[in-house]
Amino acid sequence: MTRWPEFWKVFKEKKLGVIGVIILICFIAVALFAPLIAPYNPSVRVSTPFLTPSSQHLLGTNDIGNDILSELIYGTRISLLIGVIAAFISISIGLLVGLVAGYYGGLTDALLMRIVDLILVIPFLPLMIVLSAYLGPSFWNIIIVIGILSWVRPARVIRSQVLTLKTKTFVESARSLGATNSRLLFTHIMPGVIPLALAQFVLASSYAILVEASLSFLGLGDPFQKSWGTILYYAQARGAFLTSAWVWWILPPGLLTTILVLGFTFTGYSLEEILNPRLRGR
Amino acid sequence: MTKFLAQKIAQYALVIFITVTINFFLPRLMPGNPLIYLAGEDVAFLSAEEKASLLADYGLDKPLGQQYIIYLKNITTGNFGYSYQKKKPIADIIKERLPWTLLLTGSALILSSLLGVVFGAAAAWRRGTKTDAALLIQFMFFNSMPSFWVGMILVAVFGATLRWFPIYGAQRAWMPLSGWAYYKDILRHLVLPLTTMVLISIPSTFMIMRYSMLNVLGEDYILMAKAKGLRENTIKYRYAVRNALLPMVTIFMLQLGYMFSGATVIETVFAYPGLGRLMFEAVTGRDYPVLQASFLIITVAVVLGNLLADLLYPLVDPKVRR
Repeated sequence: MTRWPEFWKVFKEKKLGVIGVIILICFIAVALFAPLIAPYNPSVRVSTPFLTPSSQHLLGTNDIGNDILSELIYGTRISLLIGVIAAFISISIGLLVGLVAGYYGGLTDALLMRIVDLILVIPFLPLMIVLSAYLGPSFWNIIIVIGILSWVRPARVIRSQVLTLKTKTFVESARSLGATNSRLLFTHIMPGVIPLALAQFVLASSYAILVEASLSFLGLGDPFQKSWGTILYYAQARGAFLTSAWVWWILPPGLLTTILVLGFTFTGYSLEEILNPRLRGR
Repeated sequence: MTKFLAQKIAQYALVIFITVTINFFLPRLMPGNPLIYLAGEDVAFLSAEEKASLLADYGLDKPLGQQYIIYLKNITTGNFGYSYQKKKPIADIIKERLPWTLLLTGSALILSSLLGVVFGAAAAWRRGTKTDAALLIQFMFFNSMPSFWVGMILVAVFGATLRWFPIYGAQRAWMPLSGWAYYKDILRHLVLPLTTMVLISIPSTFMIMRYSMLNVLGEDYILMAKAKGLRENTIKYRYAVRNALLPMVTIFMLQLGYMFSGATVIETVFAYPGLGRLMFEAVTGRDYPVLQASFLIITVAVVLGNLLADLLYPLVDPKVRR
C-alpha cells in the first residue's frame, strides 16, 4: 500500500467520491459519539407519548414517550453496524469463492458459478424474510441472514479480476520459479484483488443497509436495538402517516438512510471506477 | 438453442427444487415443537385430538425421507396446507392474493421499463453534459431510498394530507361498485403503490440502458451513419436506441424478480392485498405455512419470468437465432 498518496490524488478528482467519503465520516462520527450527542437515553421513557417537536424534544416523542432525535442518533449505530458487518461477511465469502473459482478454474469454477447462477434467480428478500422469521428478530440474526445471502455479486466481480491477474507475467514467472498454489494465490493474486474487494465491500454495505431497513420495517428487527428501519416499523404500526407526525417521525429516518446509502454508493462507485480495469475510461 | 434452453430449464427446475427443500427442512430443523413451525403459532389453541390428527397429516411420526415424499406430493398437487390463523386452505388465500400482486408488479414493470429506457437513452445521447450528470445523480438518489419509506411519504402527502388518493387496500371496502366505477376505483387505489414501485425500479433500468446505449454509440456503424450524413433522429432512434434495447429484454424479466421482492414491503405500506402483504401478515402472525407458500409462489413466478426472457430473447436478437 505504498501507492496510497498516488491513489488519493486520483480519488480526489472524483467529486462524488469525495462527497461520499465526507458523508460516511459524518455518520461514523455520529455513531461513535452517540452518547455525547444524544440529548436523552433512547430506550427510556422521558416524556408523554406523541409529543410534537419542541425545544425539549426537537423531533417530538414516539408512541411510548422516547425522544425521537435520540432514537435516530443511536439508530445510526445499529443501521451502520448491521450494514457493515453483514457486508463484511458477504465480501469474505465472495472473496473466497471468487479466488478459488477464478484461480483453479475448470470443474471447480464451473460448479461454483452454477451455484452462483442458481442463487441469483431466487428472490432474495422473500428468502431473507422466511429465514429471519424462523430465526427470530435479533441484531445478529439479521446480520447473518443478509451476510450469507449477498456474496454472489462480489464473488463474480472478484472472479473475473482473478482471471485477468492469472495470466499476468509476474504470476507466470512466479509459477515457473516453482511457487506453490497457495503462495501464488495469497502473495501474488490476493494483493491485486484486495482493492477491488474493498470497493465491493463499500457497495455491499449500501445494499445491506437498505435490506436491513426493509427487514426491520417488516418487524424482523431487534426491538431492543432500534435501527432506522425499526423506528419506521413502529411509526407505521401507530399510523404516524395519518397525522402531521410524519414530518418528524417518518421523514428523518428514511432521509438518513438515503443519505447514508448514497454516501456508500458514491464512495463505492468512485473506488470501482478507479480500481476496476474494465470500467476505466468509460 | 435447444441445448441452451434445456440447460436453462434444468437450472430453473433446480431453483424450485431448492426452494421446496428449504421450505421442507426449515420447520423441521428449528428447535422446539415443529408443529408450531408447520401449522403456525395458532396451534396452541387446538385440542389434543386436533393436534394428533395434524401430526398424522404432516406425517411427523414417519421417517424424514417419507415425510419429504409426502411433502413433495402435496406441493405438486397444489396442496399447501391450511392456515389456522386465517381459517382457510392456503391455496385459496394465494388464489385471492396473486392477481393483485401481478397487477401491481406487471404495470410497474411496463411503466418503469419505458421510463428507464427513455431516460437512459436520453442521458447516454447527451453523455458528459449537465443533463446526463443530473439524471445520473437523481437516479442514484432514487436508488438509495428505502422503497417502503417512499410509500409512506406518498401516503402522508397525497393520501392523508391532500386526500387525492385512497391510502388503504386495492378497492373500496364498502358497497361494491360495478362497471366503469369499479375499474376506476381499482385504478385510484393502484396509483400510490404503483408510483412507489416505479420510482424505486427506474434506476436499475436507467443505468443499464444508459450503459448499453453508450456501448452502441461507440460502434463503427454509428460513425458510419454519421458520415453518411443521416439525420440525428434517424441515428438516435433507428440505429442507437434500437440496438441498445436488445440486452434490455433480459433485464425486464430480471426486474420482475426485484419487483416481487419489493412488493413485500410496498404492499405492506398500502395494505395492498397481494402476496407481499400476505408475507407480512404471516410474519406478524407467525403463520409459517402461509409464509412458506408465498415464498414458493413468488419464486415460481420469478422463475417463469426468467424463462420467458430466455424464450423471447432469440426472437428479438437475430444474432443468437440459430
